[in-house]
Amino acid sequence: MTWGPMYMYYRCEACGKRFKYAVDLIPVFGDRFGDCPACHKPGVFVKDGARTPDDADYEEVDE
Amino acid sequence: MAKTIITVAPNGAWPKKENNPNVPITPQEIVHDVYDCWQAGAAIAHLHMRDDQGFGTMSTDKFRETVALLRKQHPDCDIILNLTTSGDLNATDETRMAHLEEIRPEMGSYDCGSMNWLNTSLFINHPDFLERLGKNMQAWGIKPEIEAFDPGMIANAAYYLKKGVLKAPLHFQFCMGCANGIPGNMKSLLFMKDTMDSLCPGSTWSCFGVGHSAMEMTYGAVALGGHIRVGMEDNVMYAKGQLAESNRQLVERAARVIREYGNTVATPDEAREILGLAR
Repeated sequence: MTWGPMYMYYRCEACGKRFKYAVDLIPVFGDRFGDCPACHKPGVFVKDGARTPDDADYEEVDE
Repeated sequence: MAKTIITVAPNGAWPKKENNPNVPITPQEIVHDVYDCWQAGAAIAHLHMRDDQGFGTMSTDKFRETVALLRKQHPDCDIILNLTTSGDLNATDETRMAHLEEIRPEMGSYDCGSMNWLNTSLFINHPDFLERLGKNMQAWGIKPEIEAFDPGMIANAAYYLKKGVLKAPLHFQFCMGCANGIPGNMKSLLFMKDTMDSLCPGSTWSCFGVGHSAMEMTYGAVALGGHIRVGMEDNVMYAKGQLAESNRQLVERAARVIREYGNTVATPDEAREILGLAR
């Protein structure tokens, strides 16, 4: 049984963008994990989980 | 020319229509996808069931209905059925095995250890359960697909092999990139394979990566002589920002990778030979 990738979901207080990071990319992003991909400021943690119903509303940030 | 087995895991217990409207949920939808994927090159179907609300269930009735539908509607389909034993975190040890005893599929999943599940609950595979499941699968003529989420689960399989709970040759499914499991990258995949080769020599293996590691693990499996699992249980996306149109689309891509590498896609009967299954 798997559940697909697990994400941490964020919103940016500066620009309002909603985005998500897969938790297995923590070592790839390091201190940048959780930063807004648009303004590069730390996002505000919203929730975590695997493919939540509104998953598509959050832009996936990857390498 | 080497033969590579494609397993399709069309739905799992987790993704919903909200995540991808093409995830098969009902028995009829699952049967449609299994047949479609078999035509595209899948030799094994790893199946989960959903209840009428779309949640994962270990209902023997649902397994029975689905397998009967497949056999009735598609008697030509010789795909190997691999039924999950881990489709509902609240299932009992008995309901996790009852469908195997009744249906006697050629394969069933065997999750070789316990772990935290999405940092919210537990995915429990108690030693008593694993011992009973392994012995029952031998008695019922069902080959375990040993799902290993980290190297410790491979070591656990070696222990059960020595104890007679499992019987060689083993077949592993390396589950890469799952939360609380080993990351999905080539370095980790090599370590899983090396661990298996040293602890359980002579075993066969397959792998998949969830999310962004899917393609890396697909290519890695082919290059390292393993087999491949694809499907919407592990990935509802085809690429970044692009939902998978169907499970067939994922199987077709895996088949292309295999052929471009120079291998051939194993038929179900060739997979039976590779895995030592008696039909």
